[in-house]
Amino acid sequence: MRVPVRLGAAENTLIAQLQGAGAAAEAERLTVTGLPTRRVEAYHYTDLKTLLRTVPPLAVDAGVAGAPALDVTGAFRVMIANGRVQSHGTAPAGVIVGEAKGSALTERDDVLARLNSALASETLTLTLEGSVDPVIHIDRRTDGPAAHAPSSARIYLADGASATLLETYSGSDAAHVSNHASFIQLGKGARLTHITVDLSARKATHFATGEYEIGEGAHLRTITVHAGAGLERTQIFARFGGEGAHADFTGLNLTNDGQHADITAEIRHAKGHCTCKPLYKQIARGRSKAVFQGKIVVERDAQKTDAKLMMQGLMLSDEAEILSKPELEIFADDVVCGHGSTCGKLDEDSMFYLMSRGVPKVEAETMLVRGFIAELFDSIEDEALNEALQGVVDGWLAGR
Amino acid sequence: MTTPMLEVRDLHVRIAEREILKGVNLIVPKGEVHAIMGRNGSGKSTLSYVLAGKEDYEITSGEVLLDGVSLLELDPSERATAGLFLAFQYPIEIPGVATMTFLKAAMNSQRKARGEAELTTPDFMRAVKSAGTALHIDADMLKRALNVGFSGGEKKRAEILQMALLKPKMCILDETDSGLDIDALKLVSEGVNALRSPERSMLVITHYQRLLNHIVPDVVHVFSDGRVAESGGKELALELEAKGYADFDEAAA
Repeated sequence: MRVPVRLGAAENTLIAQLQGAGAAAEAERLTVTGLPTRRVEAYHYTDLKTLLRTVPPLAVDAGVAGAPALDVTGAFRVMIANGRVQSHGTAPAGVIVGEAKGSALTERDDVLARLNSALASETLTLTLEGSVDPVIHIDRRTDGPAAHAPSSARIYLADGASATLLETYSGSDAAHVSNHASFIQLGKGARLTHITVDLSARKATHFATGEYEIGEGAHLRTITVHAGAGLERTQIFARFGGEGAHADFTGLNLTNDGQHADITAEIRHAKGHCTCKPLYKQIARGRSKAVFQGKIVVERDAQKTDAKLMMQGLMLSDEAEILSKPELEIFADDVVCGHGSTCGKLDEDSMFYLMSRGVPKVEAETMLVRGFIAELFDSIEDEALNEALQGVVDGWLAGR
Repeated sequence: MTTPMLEVRDLHVRIAEREILKGVNLIVPKGEVHAIMGRNGSGKSTLSYVLAGKEDYEITSGEVLLDGVSLLELDPSERATAGLFLAFQYPIEIPGVATMTFLKAAMNSQRKARGEAELTTPDFMRAVKSAGTALHIDADMLKRALNVGFSGGEKKRAEILQMALLKPKMCILDETDSGLDIDALKLVSEGVNALRSPERSMLVITHYQRLLNHIVPDVVHVFSDGRVAESGGKELALELEAKGYADFDEAAA
């Protein structure tokens, strides 16, 4: 007989919310399993049962005003506030904006994805065709008093389309639990740069799940930046569904005292001749925890896969923790796959060298941290966007 | 008597439990170029690092004055601002930090600390261009990350470029000749010689006399077993080249 799990306040609230939304099966499921603990491999370093103590009421419509957390000049901006798609300006050429009911995510055995699927009431849909010139900015906010806000977006890049998509997450200074979802499909030969930046308040909890379906010959670059909420977790589930595609999955955890940031990525090669180069960096300060889990799965038919997974950590205090778990699961026999993980402090010789030229200590540290991060942003051609991201790093360095 | 540019008094330094510098005494007057020669492991490079303020060393006693200012309490950036410059034997490669960004930060940090206005970008570009031309440093090299992918010769020329831009009062050149072919050695030496001035002193550390044919010193000090064993004119370097260091080991003992 199975011993029922002891449910905490957060779980009880979530179960009630699921029941209220008519998701009885999901409510029942959560009652049986509870939130994942460290014994669940995917949540080994981010034990939700311990970390998520309370869940606020489901979000209601909130009047949202004010500038976006990142204001990128020239971008086309669409806002999702408290899960609801807001009215927007005229879409640029090649961009069709719409709405759909429910969540964009596929069915998946993951608690955050399931909660989003059960609770998200609507999805922003973007169809991108041809070469979309301005940066598309999905500005997701959770505003008003503390709220549990599921939000969802589906982005489809037609064959041959190209675009840069920025998503920012922000909101009022309250103990929100935001649970964002994106489903992104790249048609044949499509090219996408997808940047997600969490700039939520420190009191908040930020969850995001991104599903990527990568078509034949497509080219994807992702940049995940965590620089906001006290508890942050971004999950990436990507699948190469056509041959000859390439993807650079990259990301950055920036943690300050008291924060816990987690990027968990699972990249599945279902078709052959695809290459991917996941590169994740983590910088931890104070008593904080930065987590990266990366798994590359190469299915039996995905011959000639070329995949190299890398994590680099930089610890700026003695109390900081950086946890890294790269994994490879390979079922094909003609592939090149590798993984690596490094972690350390700022290089003392480099510090001495910079300081010996008159650069003060704090500024020398800043230069080295920026240098450590530089390659992540190098390929972003849009100057305003590049500057905005650099600004996020500078804000963090200045002790945001 | 005028204040010497650099004065080292009875400097004792250890690393771990081992004493490396065993009572160094050295005076470099304003405008003079002094050479320190000594075999590998005699403590020459340690002296240069200690003067520049590297952390790994324990200073057990002694004093260092730069133009009358006590250095040992200052961190490396404060020493640089006070006018000290160390040209590294092995300049550090720093990926992700653009050379130009670094040069500008270094120049402006020093100006700021001295209460001077920061350089405008055009002024900065002009200064780099004019100093770079003499050292055959082209724009392409400056576009790269700091010292990353530089050849041995390029690294040493980049060190001299920094020296020219920062205009220090006291330059320490640590084995600047190592890893240089004849042409590169000439080029670097010319760069150094162009910076000789009555207001600037230099300490040239080397274990070959060769460099001193190009950068002719006023005084040569022989370093042995962690201290200055003998000092003399530039002919002392030739004597060393002929006889080796063995005689001086006895003098130090």
